[in-house]
Amino acid sequence: MRFITMDVTKCVVCRNCEYACSFQQTGDFRREDSNIRVEYYDDVKICLPQTCMHCDNAWCLEICPAAAITRNETTGAIEIDSERCAGCKMCILACPFGNIHFDKVNLVSRKCNLCEGEPNCVSFCISGALQYTNSQNLYRDNREIFQRFVENLSKEIK
Amino acid sequence: MAGSTGKKEHYTSMCRMCDNRCGINVYVENGRIVEITGLKEHKWNHGRLCVKGRLGVDQVNAPDRILKPLKRVGNKWEEIDLDQAYDEIAEKIKKIQATWGNRAMSVWKGEALGFLTQEQLSRRFIHAIGSPNYFSNDSQCFVGRWIGYGLVTGDWATQDFINSDCAVIWGSNPPYSQPNLTQTILEGRQKGGKLIVIDVRLSAIARQADEFVQILPGTDGALALGIARQLIEDNTVCHTFIEKYSHGYGAYAHYVKGFTPERVEKETGIPAGTVVHIARLIGSCRPKVCIYAGNGLEHHENGINNIRAIACLDGLLGNLDEEGGNFTSERPDLKDLALYEEKPLRHLDPIGAEKYPVLYDFRKECHTMTVMDTILSEKPYPLKGMILGGANPALTNPNTPKVIKALKALDLFVVREIFMTETAELADYILPGATYLEQSELHVHPIHQIIGLSSEIVTFPDCDNEYIFWKKLAARMGVEEYFPWKDQEALNKWILKDSGITIEKLLDHPGGYEYKPRRFHKYTEEKLPTPSGKFEFVSSYLKEYGYSYLPEYIPPTYMSEPNPEYPYVLVTGARKVFYTHGRNRNFKRCLTAIPHPEIEIHPCDAEKLDVKTGDMVTVTSIVGSVDILVKVVHSSNILPGVTQITHGWRESNVNLITHDDRNDPIDGFPLLKSVEVKIERKAGEVNI
Repeated sequence: MRFITMDVTKCVVCRNCEYACSFQQTGDFRREDSNIRVEYYDDVKICLPQTCMHCDNAWCLEICPAAAITRNETTGAIEIDSERCAGCKMCILACPFGNIHFDKVNLVSRKCNLCEGEPNCVSFCISGALQYTNSQNLYRDNREIFQRFVENLSKEIK
Repeated sequence: MAGSTGKKEHYTSMCRMCDNRCGINVYVENGRIVEITGLKEHKWNHGRLCVKGRLGVDQVNAPDRILKPLKRVGNKWEEIDLDQAYDEIAEKIKKIQATWGNRAMSVWKGEALGFLTQEQLSRRFIHAIGSPNYFSNDSQCFVGRWIGYGLVTGDWATQDFINSDCAVIWGSNPPYSQPNLTQTILEGRQKGGKLIVIDVRLSAIARQADEFVQILPGTDGALALGIARQLIEDNTVCHTFIEKYSHGYGAYAHYVKGFTPERVEKETGIPAGTVVHIARLIGSCRPKVCIYAGNGLEHHENGINNIRAIACLDGLLGNLDEEGGNFTSERPDLKDLALYEEKPLRHLDPIGAEKYPVLYDFRKECHTMTVMDTILSEKPYPLKGMILGGANPALTNPNTPKVIKALKALDLFVVREIFMTETAELADYILPGATYLEQSELHVHPIHQIIGLSSEIVTFPDCDNEYIFWKKLAARMGVEEYFPWKDQEALNKWILKDSGITIEKLLDHPGGYEYKPRRFHKYTEEKLPTPSGKFEFVSSYLKEYGYSYLPEYIPPTYMSEPNPEYPYVLVTGARKVFYTHGRNRNFKRCLTAIPHPEIEIHPCDAEKLDVKTGDMVTVTSIVGSVDILVKVVHSSNILPGVTQITHGWRESNVNLITHDDRNDPIDGFPLLKSVEVKIERKAGEVNI
């Protein structure tokens, strides 16, 4: 399965991902319609993108009383069927990361569905902070990044 | 967008919603462009695109597009047949030239329609009809850096961020101004490079900086000279480069001695310790140091010399033409459409060339601030006609009231546009322009030394592309010999004639065709394209014109002669994510996210002025005043006493208060980024 990974050392909070996602949902550039959220914390200068991680053991899926939340067999995405969603907001309560929001117009829960395997937020991420990658590559990339970090640190200490 | 590209026809091309020209996929359904996505194989953007790029779909299909030629009849617009419009325009040009002389006609190139070929075609046309008066947006954007770097190194290098150990982004915010450059800068950083951002505002790119250096507007030259002093003192300079390949080091090294960290602190507001620290960081990373000077360096009274001072750092660090440094790319051997050699017209006194000879020497470009005075005063000679394509000076040139008055005073003002802009509203004729998706042009990305072709994907009946427009007009003016090619394709073939590159090769390489492998340290074999053939720490060329030999630092007026009546300093022109200068405000969804212009101010100033976000204030300079909503930003974002307004908004047009007569003496760039202003709360105004 492929994941959207979020690199906090590359995100610049330009919000291209939020607008691209919002556009995909509603045709408008409204941050609240986006399934990905990016926050900038001025006091500590931290950039934090957040979107659904499509958990192996997805609490939102388990708790949904309407069985509206299922896993897409092709992409692995945890998806909400808005036809079935009763708008009870249990999934929103269950998600510990705040990655599900409520659509006040259609009275249903909304979340990332990986855009059928080609996530828009990643295509419109101009900093490279968002990647759509599988777990093998993720493991390799993170190791490389960590190795470089250690190398640079040892250079600085010298 | 993604996942919705079923049975559509697929084309590849390049985006022109800003200057980056990212590779794009364009999808067409029933003759209509329905989707644009990033092109994976393009070396510049690697499949990524910004939301501005996707707005290309909205632009080409916009319901408010101008699709019919319009003629002003009294105070109204009347639709007119295209051929008749060409006939009438040509007749009027002939009449103007017969009455007032050939040079009474002019052209003005903007950025909304095409790219380099567009520029070259308008240069060609105006020379073909015997006038030297070519104007463009460039005489107040980018050319300042082109000249500043040109004076020192002979070329404006590009940056090899990805292989760099230290990237310095100076007065630029790539995430908004050159979006896909961001991924390259941050990839370089992730590979272990340091990122230093020098800016007045804590911009988007500054959020990831290892060092964010917040500087007072217009004082960058002092910092550059201070860094130079420190590099020399620490002996972290490249002696071989200085000795073998540079000119004037002695005088320069002597001059920078005065820029001690303490003095730099006084001039720039940057703590002395930070000056030493960043100089040491840069010095320790040499020669793999990239320094990118942005648009923030232009638009100051001492702009060119500040840029020269930054360019001189390349001579100390030896990062010039180095892998991971400031790389001077080689260009493909493209034929030049301009007629400066075939038909030189310098003797006809191009507007502004006498006052700003360096601008004309370097760019063969007339001065857009001077032309407004020329039109109104008829001095040094009458200028009566102008053909302007895809520019909006009535919103983006300084001193808007004067611009409007001048453009209205023309006997013939023809505007080629996609939309009814503030400038188009002043025209006698509006001809519908073709967007970048309706014409084919050659594009070079110097950093990768690749060339590509953008494609004509759709056409609209009355929207002639740039080439056909000039060709048709040239035929009516009796100068068709200069436009002999049948169409754009034939023209592109001719431009490529001597390059060894064919159209077929370009079509085979939508991700960019590498015309030459990159070579580094070319200066060891070939002379640099400067008068001395060397890297010029000093410029005898400038001295001959009476300008400063050294990259001299002169503090901005708001610091050297503070005016208590105008206690704030205003920076204009910071970019916002969707907007390119005056464009894209007609797309409703952009206005959902960023609905109106604002003045960004520090919380302490807000307290002093007793205003909060959403309040209305009046901002006044000696030129005029403008009412605008307040945005109180975080205290880290801007320095107290410094404010920012983004240009390009009709609602609160900042150019109502900018100067068109306080120009950099060398390149004539207007003062837009350290304007003295006062701010007053607008009484009785209801919050929006």
